[in-house]
Amino acid sequence: MTDEQTALSLRGLAKRFDGKVAVAGVDLDVPAGSFYGLLGPNGAGKTTTLSMAVGLLRPDAGQARVLGQDVWADPVRAKQLLGVMPDGVRLFDRLSGAELLAYHGLLRGMDPTVVDQRAAELLDVLALTDAGRTLVVDYSAGMKKKIGLACALLHGPRLLVLDEPFEAVDPVSAALIRDILTRYVGSGGTVVFSSHVMEVVERLCSHVAILAEGTIKRVGTIDEVRGKRSLEEVFVEVVGGRTATGEELAWLSN
Amino acid sequence: MAVELTAPAGPARRVSARHFVRLKLRVMGNNLRGQGWRVALFLGGALVGLWFAGSGFFLFASPGLADADRYASMVAAFGGGLVVLGWLLLPLIFFGVDETLDPARFALLPLPRRTLVTGLLTAALVSVPAVAVLLALLGLVVTAGVLGGWSAALVEVVGVLLGVLLCVAAARAVTSAFASMLRSRRVRDLAAVLLAVAAALLGPLQLIGVSALQETEWDRLDGVSEVIGWTPLGAPWTAGIDLAEGRGWAAPVKLLISALTVLALLAWWSRSLESAMVGTASAGGARAKGGPAGGAVSQLFPRAVGWARRDQFGALVAREARYWWRDARRRANLITIAVVGIFVPVLVNLGGSGFGTGGGQGFGQGAAEPSPLLVSLSMLFVGVVAAVTLANQFGFDGSAYAAHVVAGVRGQQELRARMTAFSIYVVPMLGVVAIVIAVLLGRPGWIGLTAGSLLASYGAGLAVNCFVSVLGAYALPETSNPFALNSGGGVVKSFLTMLAMLVTAVAAVPMVVAAALLGDVWHWLALPVGAAYGLGAALLGAYLAGDVLDRRQPELLATVTPRR
Repeated sequence: MTDEQTALSLRGLAKRFDGKVAVAGVDLDVPAGSFYGLLGPNGAGKTTTLSMAVGLLRPDAGQARVLGQDVWADPVRAKQLLGVMPDGVRLFDRLSGAELLAYHGLLRGMDPTVVDQRAAELLDVLALTDAGRTLVVDYSAGMKKKIGLACALLHGPRLLVLDEPFEAVDPVSAALIRDILTRYVGSGGTVVFSSHVMEVVERLCSHVAILAEGTIKRVGTIDEVRGKRSLEEVFVEVVGGRTATGEELAWLSN
Repeated sequence: MAVELTAPAGPARRVSARHFVRLKLRVMGNNLRGQGWRVALFLGGALVGLWFAGSGFFLFASPGLADADRYASMVAAFGGGLVVLGWLLLPLIFFGVDETLDPARFALLPLPRRTLVTGLLTAALVSVPAVAVLLALLGLVVTAGVLGGWSAALVEVVGVLLGVLLCVAAARAVTSAFASMLRSRRVRDLAAVLLAVAAALLGPLQLIGVSALQETEWDRLDGVSEVIGWTPLGAPWTAGIDLAEGRGWAAPVKLLISALTVLALLAWWSRSLESAMVGTASAGGARAKGGPAGGAVSQLFPRAVGWARRDQFGALVAREARYWWRDARRRANLITIAVVGIFVPVLVNLGGSGFGTGGGQGFGQGAAEPSPLLVSLSMLFVGVVAAVTLANQFGFDGSAYAAHVVAGVRGQQELRARMTAFSIYVVPMLGVVAIVIAVLLGRPGWIGLTAGSLLASYGAGLAVNCFVSVLGAYALPETSNPFALNSGGGVVKSFLTMLAMLVTAVAAVPMVVAAALLGDVWHWLALPVGAAYGLGAALLGAYLAGDVLDRRQPELLATVTPRR
């Protein structure tokens, strides 16, 4: 079954907002067990694409399948396999970290004793136990990312979709998140995440796709995409950025 | 010849108030661009402002036009004083401040504080309310002119201009001071609740004030108005009138009082502006220590929800119950229900002739004899008000609702859980209202009637608001500042609320009809029938609206997610 080997499959996903095209037909196949980086400049449509892939935003056209389950035709089964950490979306932040985890666990229909045990472990590993009964709204940005990741991981999903997991995270927390994600992939999970930090993507990912102006510009394993150059060079070229030539801004260089 | 790296791009040009005004106009214009309904709302607001300005103008000009010099200073002192008070308090309670030009945005610019303050003040003057107030109070110039000729009119013009400046400066200074006081989330939450109490009490206080006014003599008000005239509340408005009435020495003193007040307010504003500019970045927040008791799951469930099963439904109820207490906006709504629930029925049923609002007579009943019909009607109103709180229940969650979409929560489950959690707070409150009203009426036997009407209308309201909350949700600003407000949404919002209340009232009308027709039997039947009616309606509403919700979860999420 090819479906079983493809963790996430997108076909012709498209979305326009107020007549402006945000995503113009994205096709993507994320192999199971891969660590997949979705790269793109600001406004490329990363968040829109991922939102449509996980059932948060209804696409104008196209299909999204999670391990063979259609996200839009059969949302319940697809969503059971999914763990999601959206970006720019609030958590139920008037709960404490432990309460939030318990809430997510029970929402997913998990057994309360399992929820208790996993929540305690996750809080411990992510160094959030010290926060005690502090409400999530009073957490720092890095702590919020960590608790968001914990919520996505709690029910043991087969596919993790993370939007900008490393944004606004300090190096210590980032290293911790990287370790956890690497372990998750090592044990058979699949991670898709969006980012525009080349260094992180280059270090972690087995596959990358470069998204710009709502379409996929390059896709493949990381070695296929970057060839002999650095990922950053390829990215800037694909996205159509320019490197300063030195003629302009002369007043900057004294 | 290269320019030095750190050299400025030439001598900096002076920034004047003109730049701020142009910036404000540009921001306002861009907000309207390409959004037809926003333009319409803006024009509507401007027309309302113009209407107020016009009627205010004639009100303030009336002592002059009618040549009733006796009332001139009274109108100026009381009317003007109310305007100043309104500018001082209303932004805090209802409207939020117009933050088209947020001081925080200027924090990085090398602007002297004096420039910033004059600039922001000038920009604040360019707004519909400020222009409307100016136009309205220019009516006083007519009064002063008619009574005292050109010199009085001229002095009054200066006074009114100073007065409008005073209004705007006062509003800015107070909100700015508050903003810096409200650094911590706890204080902000508390302030929001206090303001909600104040706002909820405004109606009852107004009624009491009006009835008190009816009993006092006009002559005594003369003295009061004279005193007000010497405070900053009335000084700017009465200066020209004083001149017209032959107290020429008072005019310059009053103008001086006004000018000094404006200066003092600006100095205060300028001081608090600095802290407002640094922004309301959370200073880390108080970290609640104290060892967590028990596992994560038992922490989630508050004691009042201890009975619930530890499953999806229980978790939804527990989280909602926690939110009704922990989210300041929601708590403020609960307080409003409590205040309205007690005051409105008391005023309607026990008001007597003073503020009976005519309702008592309208149904052919004397004030002394409580009427089952009137009691049912007022209870119905309370139930409707309580339930309409849920009209934008998804808006409270904002983008956090994404968690439910991702977890695939069924619509019926979702709506039933939300009703249950809200009812944990509201049903006991309604019970207290039912008992208190029945006892105050001196008819303890009517508890069945009051409680039955309350439950029936509350249940019907839950059903109606299920639909409203799914179909008519809108985004609330995602901020912890209780004074922040989405500009423009107000009209749509209140329209939806009115509609929901109207439909609910219609749905609960059978209870009132029964109260009118069935007589004494109904006193005993009302409670079981009302409770069953309410429960049935609520469950039916959740069942039907849940289906709708299942089909449009992502769309609902999009509508409650604030832009930007």
